[in-house]
Amino acid sequence: MRIFILLILFVASILFLSFDTENDLFNYPTSWQKPYYDFTKNPLSKEKIELGRRLFYDPILSKDSTISCQSCHSQYSAFTHIDHSLSHGINDSIGLRNSPALMNLAWNKSFMWDGAINHLDMQALAPISNPIEMGENITNVVYKLQNSKIYPKLFYNAFNDSIITGEHTLKAISQFMLTLISSNSKYDSVMREQSDFTQQESNGYKIFKANCSTCHTEPLFTNYEFENNGLKVDPSHNDYGRMRITSKSYDSLKFKVPTLRNIEFSYPYMHDGRFKRLSDVINHYTNGIEESETLSKKLKTKINLTSNEKVDLISFLLTLTDKEFLFNPKFGYIKK
Amino acid sequence: MINKYIKLCICILIFFSKLHSQDIISKINFDSSLNKIKLELNKYILLNKNDSISIETIKFYISNIKLAIDDSIIFQEPNSYHLIDFENISTKSISLNYHKNIIFNKIKFNLGIDSATNVSGALGGDLDPTKGMYWTWQNGYINFKFEGKSNICQNKNNEFQYHLGGYLYPNNSIQEITLNIKNNKDLNININLDNLLPNLNLSDKNHIMSPSLESVKVSKIIANSFEIK
Ligand code: HEC
Ligand code: HEC
Repeated sequence: MRIFILLILFVASILFLSFDTENDLFNYPTSWQKPYYDFTKNPLSKEKIELGRRLFYDPILSKDSTISCQSCHSQYSAFTHIDHSLSHGINDSIGLRNSPALMNLAWNKSFMWDGAINHLDMQALAPISNPIEMGENITNVVYKLQNSKIYPKLFYNAFNDSIITGEHTLKAISQFMLTLISSNSKYDSVMREQSDFTQQESNGYKIFKANCSTCHTEPLFTNYEFENNGLKVDPSHNDYGRMRITSKSYDSLKFKVPTLRNIEFSYPYMHDGRFKRLSDVINHYTNGIEESETLSKKLKTKINLTSNEKVDLISFLLTLTDKEFLFNPKFGYIKK
Repeated sequence: MINKYIKLCICILIFFSKLHSQDIISKINFDSSLNKIKLELNKYILLNKNDSISIETIKFYISNIKLAIDDSIIFQEPNSYHLIDFENISTKSISLNYHKNIIFNKIKFNLGIDSATNVSGALGGDLDPTKGMYWTWQNGYINFKFEGKSNICQNKNNEFQYHLGGYLYPNNSIQEITLNIKNNKDLNININLDNLLPNLNLSDKNHIMSPSLESVKVSKIIANSFEIK
């Protein structure tokens, strides 16, 4: 009798372990806030994530089949584009803005530097349709997918429907992007009390908390607000950021506060990629702040740092590098 | 043997016709008129001695259809989103399911897509982004597309292109339309271009392509030209 009960327990636990729970697909530290993305409208599944991953890496999404999402968002640079300050698209045309690093997107309330995109699902439409990025349109993308050898089957496995739609295409791409979670940097392991900062990093952390964390708020290193951090307008772009969307003068020169996770690898920096090195960024905050009507109150008092303090601050920023994220084969190109 | 099949067929037919008579399906048909006659797309039509116009696209969303008696709403269509495209005849009428023995005297609907739906991510059916009614560089549905050519337009190709929409204040372009119903037959709703065109400033406003106050203004003008035929 006892053996029988044990056997049942054993079988039950095997069954339990072999099911993919949502947690296996989407894991984040318990100390983080709840994600903003509404998963009930797009429940994660292994098949959908894999489909999204394939689409992300497939140049079929662009007009001349030369550009995929990863052309501008490659894994080893935390899913940004590091060769050029402004992203290149089809026919090597140059865009207005630097591609942001992609990670922890389930917590974002809006997308793009100016928040032009209101939902992660709709993000992919912008590069697909932009004539200087992928130069395609979603209707034609769906047509090409439907007529390909592999996709109808993959869509069937994922959505139980081999008729491909724009909705399903976008939702699958979202699913892959949602799984791009970076939460295992040295900083995270220090927070979990599994390792310690060096003296230098620990100094840098103090400087960071005193000067930077009101906007680059832990643990995601952004407050998700639009702020003017005192960059001079580049007269060749005249990019006024958030104001383009709201037409409000108080939004002039405001841009979405970016995360600083994996900042070591996501250069060049800022919406137009004007800074190549972290030291350029720090020098901007200490000596380069441009006064203007919309400059954030948080930056109205001058930040003074000695050269040692600057080095310390940078050494702290480097603890935000998450090698597991940057080299996780689950996020990489699908080898056939 | 064949006889048996025929009998079975008759039974099925009777069964379905019974079903049918319980729930009458009322139709709402959309159309447009110019110079008091039914509009034909892609055909130049004289407006006066000197000017002519060819309408190429009329494509819009109708949502949240309600039938009412005076001010009380009796019927509200669930999941009510319809894309009407004058180029595609099958989209020009909407079938409604409601109980037959109520006599309504008002129909209410929205011209365009509400803001909650605008921020709900990827949706299917008539709301699928492959329908060409979704802005890509800055999100949101296009509520109404109105495109064509006319010598009145002072630009290179003598063309006009209105893509109207916007769900954020102060550019919310969605319009609620209420029309009085005279009888309970199928409804024919007409966009009266004779009322619409004189109110548009086609000679210098040829393009509206993003959410703006201009888009709100033109959306109102269009909403006012909806009528029951
Ligand atoms: C030609 C380069 C290029 C391609 C190709 C490209 N992107 Fe981007 N991506 C950018 C740029 C530039 C931005 C920022 C634009 C802005 O803020 O105006 C961006 C922004 C984003 C964002 C917003 C991130 C945030 O934090 O706000 C996401 C998500 C994204 N892209 C996903 C994708 C997906 C998915 C694809 C493939 C369908 C793709 N991108 C293809 C250059 C590109
Ligand atoms: C007032 C809010 C605010 C404060 C305080 C602030 N930042 Fe920023 N930070 C921003 C905004 C906004 C951007 C993006 C600006 C842009 O691209 O136009 C940014 C961008 C950055 C970037 C570039 C990120 C990328 O992916 O391109 C780095 C690095 C950075 N900040 C570091 C710091 C450091 C270090 C401090 C403290 C010395 C600091 N920030 C303080 C708002 C702030």
